[in-house]
Amino acid sequence: MRRRLIGLASAIVLALFGGRTGAQSQTASGHPDLSGYWELRFDSFNLPRAVLTTAAQAATATRLKRDLDAIRGCVNVGLPALMNDRATLDIRQSASVIGMVAKAPSSTRYIYTDGRKHPDAEELEGTTNGHSIGRWNGDALLVDTVGFNDRGITAIPGGGYRTSRSHLVEGYRLSGDGQQLVVTFTWTDPVVFRRAHTYAFRYYKASSISEPRVVNCIANDAERARFLSEVPMPLRF
Amino acid sequence: MTIRAIPACMAATLLLAMPIAYAQEKPGSAPDMSGMWIVQDPGSGNWAEWFDNVPKPQLKPEIVADNQRIVESERAGNVVNRMPRTAACPVGNLPMMMASSPPLNIVVSRDEVLIGAESNRGRFIYTDGRSHPDVTAPSYVPSGFGHSIGHWEGDTLVVDTIGFAPRVCDSRRPVMLVPGGGRAKDTTHLVERYRLTGSDELSVTFTWEDPTVFLAPHTYSYTYKRLSEAVPIENNEEPSTAQPDRQYTTTKAEK
Repeated sequence: MRRRLIGLASAIVLALFGGRTGAQSQTASGHPDLSGYWELRFDSFNLPRAVLTTAAQAATATRLKRDLDAIRGCVNVGLPALMNDRATLDIRQSASVIGMVAKAPSSTRYIYTDGRKHPDAEELEGTTNGHSIGRWNGDALLVDTVGFNDRGITAIPGGGYRTSRSHLVEGYRLSGDGQQLVVTFTWTDPVVFRRAHTYAFRYYKASSISEPRVVNCIANDAERARFLSEVPMPLRF
Repeated sequence: MTIRAIPACMAATLLLAMPIAYAQEKPGSAPDMSGMWIVQDPGSGNWAEWFDNVPKPQLKPEIVADNQRIVESERAGNVVNRMPRTAACPVGNLPMMMASSPPLNIVVSRDEVLIGAESNRGRFIYTDGRSHPDVTAPSYVPSGFGHSIGHWEGDTLVVDTIGFAPRVCDSRRPVMLVPGGGRAKDTTHLVERYRLTGSDELSVTFTWEDPTVFLAPHTYSYTYKRLSEAVPIENNEEPSTAQPDRQYTTTKAEK
């Protein structure tokens, strides 16, 4: 069942993104060059609600609390929060690997495009970003990610959360003469989703990054911790 | 970040550094240095000796005296950093990152080079032709990585860095140390030259200049070996067990 869902998700990604061309910058090998600064705007989100398992519905509140603890503790946020960052996302593409850096405290995400496979499961230590491999299909980059852990911000847009059993398939395609980047995300996880959960973001190209590139996250900032943990109260006049 | 033992990493290098194909795709005509690279320690045995295992810099007398003061302070037992971590503390430490055993994770794109340590974020080297900003302007936020711009001279990536933070949050030595005993701070200028000396070998030559620290430019080189298909580890503790300010505070037992 899970394999069929993953196959279906990949087919949807291919149908949406396969074989299109546009006036876009390319690398020496002819692939579109996704490198650049990318930002999300108010109209960037096509976000259906996820259909959760009963267990996931019951666990959601606990998971949200853990996510908040991770924010307070300045733990690397990981996927998918790295891709949701409203500050500019820096994507850098070489022939063999793509690096992604968000402003939020997070590990750098690496997508290997050199033809390697995922490591064997027993050799793969879970991380917040997982292990990502990508391959080109026409002008679309298809990315497969496994090897997650359940640390950092685990909440998935539309509902659900990342676990060690999560599997993410993404499709990346430039549009709008290379000024936009459309990414579809399809999550499967037998613990969390009753069926594959797919949503899409459209990023807009930014000319540059002017603000500091790193958030100096201070876990022992008492005022910050209070703000994150206390129940907000209305101001009294 | 945990600094793991250099010798252990040398062993890992031998195990992991399998030959891989020279990158076929290049940004322009430049070689592709993308990949994971681990610094090669010629056999010093410990971090302090490794960090000093470079040609001796010609230091100003006041820096020599300050180095002696640091040594004496550490001999007296001041080995725990007791300075609180605040939002004003600068991020990063370029000379330590480039010398440390967590492998460098390099991504060379058309107009920017990323260099991280393992999966950690790190340096951004702009190769799009931009200039340095005014690092003395109030809007500039200095860091331990400074501001780096690069250009290609044939097969060599030449990186120019200024804008380091004047001080760091460390009660033991509130300055960034440069291998051999120098300093990196707001008046410091670094030039690095990156060149592939083989499909699996990267040479980086560092030249530090600072009229307040060095009497002459301080130059040394490191060799890095490629780690083929290695997976970067992530130093990411559970919030419930993490002690993010552990190294900046004292416990009751230490008081």
